[in-house]
Amino acid sequence: MSTQLLIAALVAGSIYALIALGLNLVYGTMRLINVAHGEVVMIGAYVAYWGISLLSVGPLISALAAIPMAVALGAAIYFGIFRRAMQSMEFMERIEGNSLLVFFGLSVILQNVTSLLFTPNQRGYRYQDEIVHFIGATVPVNKLIVLAIAAAVCVAAIVFFRRSTLGLAIKALMQQREASALVGIPLTQIELASLCLGFAAAALAGILVSMTEQISPFMGFPLTVTAFVVVILGGLGNVLGSLIGGLLLGVLETFGVALTGPSYRSIMIYAVFIGVLLLRPQGLLGAGRSRT
Amino acid sequence: MTARIGRAASAVTAAALLAITLPFVANSYFVGVGFTLLVWLALTESWIVISGMTGYISLGHVVFVGIGAYVAALTWLVLPIWIIVPLAGLAAAVLATFVGYPCLRVRGPYFVILTFGLSELVKYIIVNIESALTVSGRVLFGAPGVETLYLIALALTWVSVILALAVRESRFGAALRAIRDNEEAAETIGVAIGKFKAAAFVLSSIVPGMVGALLIMRSTYFDPLEVFNPQTSVLIVTMAVIGGSDRPLGPVLGVAFLVLLQELLWANLPQLYMIVVGVLLIAVVVWLPGGIYGKLQRMTTAVAR
Repeated sequence: MSTQLLIAALVAGSIYALIALGLNLVYGTMRLINVAHGEVVMIGAYVAYWGISLLSVGPLISALAAIPMAVALGAAIYFGIFRRAMQSMEFMERIEGNSLLVFFGLSVILQNVTSLLFTPNQRGYRYQDEIVHFIGATVPVNKLIVLAIAAAVCVAAIVFFRRSTLGLAIKALMQQREASALVGIPLTQIELASLCLGFAAAALAGILVSMTEQISPFMGFPLTVTAFVVVILGGLGNVLGSLIGGLLLGVLETFGVALTGPSYRSIMIYAVFIGVLLLRPQGLLGAGRSRT
Repeated sequence: MTARIGRAASAVTAAALLAITLPFVANSYFVGVGFTLLVWLALTESWIVISGMTGYISLGHVVFVGIGAYVAALTWLVLPIWIIVPLAGLAAAVLATFVGYPCLRVRGPYFVILTFGLSELVKYIIVNIESALTVSGRVLFGAPGVETLYLIALALTWVSVILALAVRESRFGAALRAIRDNEEAAETIGVAIGKFKAAAFVLSSIVPGMVGALLIMRSTYFDPLEVFNPQTSVLIVTMAVIGGSDRPLGPVLGVAFLVLLQELLWANLPQLYMIVVGVLLIAVVVWLPGGIYGKLQRMTTAVAR
C-alpha cells in the first residue's frame, strides 16, 4: 500500500498507543478503570489551544504547563478520592466496578465544566500545516511532529520500564502486589506515581491531538473508547502490549477506512473491540490472565 | 418471605392505582413530568434485574430502548399501538437473547465496557442502515397524547417494579445473588450460572424495549443518535446507584431526585445538571455504598435498637 496511508496509520497508531499507555498503567497498578482518561487528553488539548490563541505560545511549550496540570489533577484525585476509598473493604470488594463509576462521574463533570466555561463548540488552530514531501508521500509538517514526539515517548516508556528503578517497581507492583510490598516497594508512592504518569501521558497526547484535529469538550470520550480497544488488544495491565495494540489499531483503522469509507469507522472499531473481547478477553498478546 | 413480597406488591399496586388519577386532575405539564418519572423508574427497575442482582453492571441498556424505538418507528401507522408496544419489547428480548449469552461470559470491567461498546455498535449500524435507505430522521404522525402515553408508562412501571420484587424474593433471585457474591462457588453448588444470567438479561431488556416505543411516540421523532444516546445508560446507572441498586424500592428515591432536578435545570443549565449527576455518582459510590435507601435503612435500624 501507499506510504501516504502508512504514515497516516503510524500517526494515528502512535497517538493511540500513547493514550492507551496511561490508561493501562493506572489499571495495572491500582486496578482502577479510568474512563475519564479521555477527558485528561481533552484538558491537554484545551491548554494548547488557549496557549496559542491567548499567549501565542506554541503547543510544545504549552505542554510544559499541561503536564504539571494533569499531574496535579491525578494527585488530587488520588488523595481526594482513592486513598481513602481504597481502605474501605466495601469499595475494594468491587474496585473495578466502583472505580469505573467514580471516573464516569468525573468524566461527566470535566466535560460539562469545560463546556460551561468554553462553550460546547468545536475549536481549532493552525500550527505547522504546510505540506512537505516525505519519502514519496505528501504530509503536513504537524503530523510528522506528532509522529516523532509520540514515537519518542513510547520508546522512552519502553526503556523506562526496563531500566529505571521506578519503572521496574511499577512493573513489580503490576505483577505481584503483595510480594512487592513484602520486598519493600512503597505501594502508596508507586501508585501515586503511576497515576500521575498516566495522566501526564494523556495530557501530552492531548497537546498532540490538538495540533492536527478540532477540539471540543466532548472529544475525550471517543478517545477513551479507542484507548480501551487498544488496551484490550494488548491485554489489560500489559504496558508493552498497549504500544503494539495502538499501532495495530492505527493500521487497521486507516486502511479499513481507506477501503470502505469514513462512515464505517465507528462500526469497525466497535466490531474489533467486541470481537476481541468475546474471543480473547485476555488480549491478543496476553497469556492466560484470568477473566476477572 | 411471601408475606413480605405480598405486602410490598400491594403497596406498589395501590400507589399505581392512585397514580391513574393524575391525567384526570392535572394539566398536561404535570402529566408530562409524571410520564418522565415513570419512564426512568421503569428503566431503572429493569436494569436492577440484571445489574443490581448479579453485579454485572450493564452500561449499554440504552440499546434496548433504541431497538424498541426503531421497531416502533418502522411499524408506525402499519400496526396498531397495542401491537407495536409489545413488539418493541419482543425485539429487545430477541436482541438480548442473542447477545446475552456470549456477553455474560466476560466479567467485571470487561462486561461493562462490552455492553457499552455493543450499544454503540448497534447505534452506528442503524445510523448506517438509515443513511443507506436515505432516511434522515422519521417523523411519527398522529401519535397519542401524553395522557394515553402516561397510562401505558404507568402499566409498564408497575410491571417492572413487580418483576424486580418477584425476582428478588424468588429462588431465581437467590441464585442471581449467589452469582454476584461468588460465581465459582455458585457454580460448584449447582447453580446453572450461564442460563440464569442470560435469563436475567433477557428479563431486564423487555420493559426498556417497550419504553423505547413510548419515548418516540412522545417525541414523535426518531433519530438514532438520540434514542441510542449513551447518556441514557449513564443516567440509568446513576439513578439506581444513588437510590441503592440492590433494593427494588431504592431507585424510586434516585429517580425522583434526578428527574425533579432535571425539570429544574435541564432547560436552562443542562451542563450544571450533568455536573450534579457526576458529583452525586462519585459521592454515593465513595461515601454511601448501598445508596440513599441503604443509608436510611441503616439509620432506622440504628434508631430501633
